[in-house]
Amino acid sequence: MLVGLGAVVSLTLGACAAPAPDGARSEFADWNDVIRAAQGQTVKLWMYGGDTQGNAYIDDVLAPAVAAEGVTLERVPVTDTSDALNRVLSELQAGRTDDGTVDLVWVNGDNFRTGKEAGAWLCDWTNLMPNLALTAPDDPLLLKDFGTPVDGCEAPWNKAQFTFVYNSDVIADPPTTLAGVLAWAEAHPGRFSYPAPPDFTGSVFTREVLYSVSGGYENVPATFDQDAYDQLTPKLFERLRDLAPSLWRAGSTYPANEQELNQLYADRQIDLTMTYGPATLTDLVASGTYPPGTKVLSLEEGTVGNASFLSIPANAASSAGAMVVANVALSAGQQLAKAHPATWGQFTVLDPNELTPDDRARFDALPSSPVVPSYDVLSRSANPELAAAWVPVLDEGWRTTVLAGR
Amino acid sequence: MVLPALVPAVFVVAGGVGAAAMQSLGLMPLVGPVRFSADAYTGQAEDLFRALGLSLAIAAVSTVIAAVFGVGTALLIVGGRWCGRILAATSAATVTIPHLIGAATVGLLLADSGVLARVLGVPPELWPSLVGGPWWLAVVAEYAWKESAFIALIVAGTLITRVARFDEAAALLGATRWMRFRFVMLPLALPALAISSTIAFVYTLGSYEVAWLLGRTYPEPLAVMALRLFNSVSLTARPEAAAAAVLTTLVSFLVVGACFWALRKTALWR
Repeated sequence: MLVGLGAVVSLTLGACAAPAPDGARSEFADWNDVIRAAQGQTVKLWMYGGDTQGNAYIDDVLAPAVAAEGVTLERVPVTDTSDALNRVLSELQAGRTDDGTVDLVWVNGDNFRTGKEAGAWLCDWTNLMPNLALTAPDDPLLLKDFGTPVDGCEAPWNKAQFTFVYNSDVIADPPTTLAGVLAWAEAHPGRFSYPAPPDFTGSVFTREVLYSVSGGYENVPATFDQDAYDQLTPKLFERLRDLAPSLWRAGSTYPANEQELNQLYADRQIDLTMTYGPATLTDLVASGTYPPGTKVLSLEEGTVGNASFLSIPANAASSAGAMVVANVALSAGQQLAKAHPATWGQFTVLDPNELTPDDRARFDALPSSPVVPSYDVLSRSANPELAAAWVPVLDEGWRTTVLAGR
Repeated sequence: MVLPALVPAVFVVAGGVGAAAMQSLGLMPLVGPVRFSADAYTGQAEDLFRALGLSLAIAAVSTVIAAVFGVGTALLIVGGRWCGRILAATSAATVTIPHLIGAATVGLLLADSGVLARVLGVPPELWPSLVGGPWWLAVVAEYAWKESAFIALIVAGTLITRVARFDEAAALLGATRWMRFRFVMLPLALPALAISSTIAFVYTLGSYEVAWLLGRTYPEPLAVMALRLFNSVSLTARPEAAAAAVLTTLVSFLVVGACFWALRKTALWR
């Protein structure tokens, strides 16, 4: 009887599997419709919750601004963006198509691509937002997200630059290329490490090393192709395997994520670390968590830069409200507040040429940090991200070759 | 009478396990056609076996340690002196701490630059790799600590109601401390010890957060593997995650079955 009941239950669940592959399209005709439908809605924004400045910005700055438009914003912290995506996919699989618990997700890269493939995002809505006009229409970082066309399925929010960070009190003569960083690590055993992919930061680091051993990002085709993978990655994995004995704990294990890596840096166990959020450095040095000699390491060949977005799941219960939040978040005032180092220090996605002279002057007047250079300097010779299809293959290759190879 | 309690339990357990089994066999794909296949098992057989071996080792070692300390604590609690009462109170307090909090606490205590290393003045390079080390010592320590309190309370609970009479009778007949432990306490405690140890073992086998927080990245226990695959961004990894979960469930059922089979053979079952 148990088996019979179990089979019935599983069959009912099974019948609801496989959501529509092409995703949902927004049904609003113009922005006024959206505003009208959004009144009184509560929007649940699912985002990475490990950044106290980011959390404070949402709760204290963005939420009140959104409330003025008649929408309540609730932040749902997650440890990894894929938790939010998994929630949406599970809801769709269970047949919950219009009352989902996730209204808005801070997303980019492979999570966006996976969601788009599974039809989990609402599309064709970003053009409705009046504030989209403040971004450059031909900005490559905003048209493609890790090689996946954005297609109006997510609204731009932040720009980010992958950054190496070092303790200048220990390293007097810092390396200037990534090859130099790896050579420095080998000359100073135990003083360097990187998070284990599929952690986001560790994953970017392996792509940076791939660019470096391939002689620059120009030599790695942005779209995934198995031949290029077979040809380029043996060198990458060989380099990382050779490096492993010189890493923290002789490479027998790796920090599981960026927090663990940066904890090692804060504890002075390593002297060189990395982050996708250089904006937080100023605060960490000021509070004494990081060594006072902490500096950003600029590499001759540049580092990877990307943009992150706000995306609405296809089954969001408050999709109109979520659009209002995305629009407010894209306004000059909010982008300016968010870019202030004391608030969050996230780089803006807006195009200076589309701003009013007053707003442009306010952006120019943002205070600079003693630790972190401005976005213009950081993103000089920024490398493009590889297509999202590269990411899981490289992560898995690293796991089976470098991690298991020891 | 038990039907109202039975129906939701069956619905959740059978439905959940059934859905996981179907996902692992390719019958509930997120995208793509429904196709029956055992690829999720055969394609990663080597990884599954390595993970299973590690999970069984962690669960076995921590359960044995927990059982030894649990029985010792139970005897002291039953002994009824003031230290028994203190032990009973600390055991009861320990049981209420969630494993996640326990793992974070053990991590802060035992890490390379953790509280213990700082108090003892040992630099991180010289401190043994307890957290994230090759022998999973911090993971075993956390499970052994938490589960020993659980086993102690269960065993003490069964002993306390009936042990005094037998114990006094044996003492009057001239039994030594060791003989009373070997021929009175242990046989009386055995069924409760076996059941609570099995619960601790199966829980450890299926639990993920402690091994994830305090363990190392490779190799990984079954539960950590299942969650990593479930959260993987590639949509095809879900059947593999379900396969790891189904394997964990099967092994757990086997262990519970073996425990009950062995208990039925003992004289005390009746």
